[in-house]
Amino acid sequence: MSRLILLGNPETKRAVYLKKGAEKAGVEVEVLDWRKFPQNFEETDFQEEEIFLKIDPPSWNSCCLEELDRLVSEYEGNLDYIAASPGSKRITFLNHPQGIKELLDKRGCKRRLKEAGIPVTEEIETESGTSAAFRRGSQYPLTEQLLEAMERQKAFQVFIKPDHGSGAAGVMAFRYEPRKGQTALYTCAAKEPATGRLVNTRRLRRFTDRQKVCSMVEGLLRSDCIVERWYAKAEHKGFSYDLRAVVQDGEIDFMLARLSAGPITNLQLNNHPLGAEELGLSSAVKSQVEQICRQAAGCWPSLRSVGVDILLERGSLRPRIIEMNGQGDLIYQDIYGENKIYCRQAKMMKRWQQGEEIR
Amino acid sequence: MGKSKRYEYDYEQYENGKGPKTMIDDILADPDFSQVTDVTIGSWGSAWEDNCQKILDDIADNKDKFAHVQQLFVGDMDYEDCEVSWIMQGNYGRLWKALPGLKELTIKGSTDLSLGEVEHENLEALTIICGGLPVSVLEEIQKAKLPNLKKLVLYIGVENYGFDGDEDTIRTFLEKSDFPKLTHLGIEDSEIQDQLTQVVLESKYMGQIHTLDLANGTLTDKGGALLLEKIPSYPNIKVLDIHYHYLSDTMAQQLKGLPIQVDVSEANEPEEYDGEIWMDAMLTE
Repeated sequence: MSRLILLGNPETKRAVYLKKGAEKAGVEVEVLDWRKFPQNFEETDFQEEEIFLKIDPPSWNSCCLEELDRLVSEYEGNLDYIAASPGSKRITFLNHPQGIKELLDKRGCKRRLKEAGIPVTEEIETESGTSAAFRRGSQYPLTEQLLEAMERQKAFQVFIKPDHGSGAAGVMAFRYEPRKGQTALYTCAAKEPATGRLVNTRRLRRFTDRQKVCSMVEGLLRSDCIVERWYAKAEHKGFSYDLRAVVQDGEIDFMLARLSAGPITNLQLNNHPLGAEELGLSSAVKSQVEQICRQAAGCWPSLRSVGVDILLERGSLRPRIIEMNGQGDLIYQDIYGENKIYCRQAKMMKRWQQGEEIR
Repeated sequence: MGKSKRYEYDYEQYENGKGPKTMIDDILADPDFSQVTDVTIGSWGSAWEDNCQKILDDIADNKDKFAHVQQLFVGDMDYEDCEVSWIMQGNYGRLWKALPGLKELTIKGSTDLSLGEVEHENLEALTIICGGLPVSVLEEIQKAKLPNLKKLVLYIGVENYGFDGDEDTIRTFLEKSDFPKLTHLGIEDSEIQDQLTQVVLESKYMGQIHTLDLANGTLTDKGGALLLEKIPSYPNIKVLDIHYHYLSDTMAQQLKGLPIQVDVSEANEPEEYDGEIWMDAMLTE
């Protein structure tokens, strides 16, 4: 007997629209609820049954960045648990938990892409040159280290992101002008007045008071984060944008531009999406973008479906991969349209169930 | 019809030595340039560090090669490239004589900006976009000899970023300046937009303009009521642009009911913090 299972959250769009895709393909997908994990996982008989498993991200409600750190860490533990479970070798994963975990680590993802010669948004390196990770617990103010690194590398504007974050959680766009010592910071993170902890909000704010800016930057640098160059993004009708592509089975199933009136383009921030075909990009640029998306997806053969965020540099439109996501398949413009992404996943499941070889 | 073209440097070009010193050479080396009448200069690589004086001087030094240019925008950068208040501008004094065919000039950023002695027979539109317009620049425009100027748009901005005047400065400016052909007046992006609305409504230009632009500021119902009262007495006014505002829905609807074209898009809500009401103009940096 073979079963198609989604480990996810039954009431979410991800689950609902995968089920719709499955229905269309004539297969049935069962949902194991993350809230009952690991009991429900242990009760599943992986030894006796043939199982195709898709893992969705769990739902998190916290907006406190420290708390998000803990939740991601717990989630990584769960992915390890699945990967190490006795039945895991018999499971066919849509995306292997180890691959999903690897993409949760932005630095690791970037390192592998660079090794493969794929253009990425470059990291700012610390003085030792070994890593962009500004280390937790250093006595020396980390912001000072960062400012020195920025001057040394003539990178006067950077993005600082929690290494394991998702969405715009905690992301800071930071700019520094060394001559007069001016600073500017754009972020959705805000300090909770009562506790001083950084919390994520849905509003992009701009700060320029150097003391305040440095204190907020220091707060993020003290967590595990990645610092990378902030390249001026391409612009369309007065909005800057980046691209989100969903690559499945080596095909680009969806590509969306995320337009923004501020430097942070995540769609959760009331920014607006636009079909990439409406940008009027030349076929040469489109083909370059598609090529690096396929190459990037190819770096993780254990992942059949990946989300790829791509930046086009303003002016030259040179593409660079910003980050990737092993669970970046929820695109509202798709589910409310053709539902192509989940339909393809359902077709993969069907082919697997019919004994056909899938990539 | 002429072409529009944007010239700018991205990060790698800047890393490889491109900057204000190379911009005009690169523009002149562009095979399309002789057909380009509308020139936009975006990032010159390090706008927060190097001003654009070299670009302006190089245009003046190559005035014959720029003779066909009718529209010039210097500093078209947004938050992706540079903070607007960090854009290092320059002195435009030499351009007036060098580009007699220029019809439109747009400048973004006001740090180190000077227009010099402004005298130009053919300029029809002048726009300055910034987070704070220094009084020194306002005075240069006040003395300007621009007999054919039809459109003037000035972002007034805020004190922290360079606006060192008040409503009386704008009143004096509107009284003393002399633009006989002005039809579009924009006094926008101010944190005292209500006061400036009153000043503009009392100005001599009200009888001659067809477009009144008070957008991007902190316009509230106080300024809205003044507009509602005064606009009907100026049948010459066909367009009222007050997009980005703090008007109530009721006031916005009433203004929309005026028998002219009215843009009341981008409504904002004041924020209350620590017992105080906060409103920001659109560009305040």
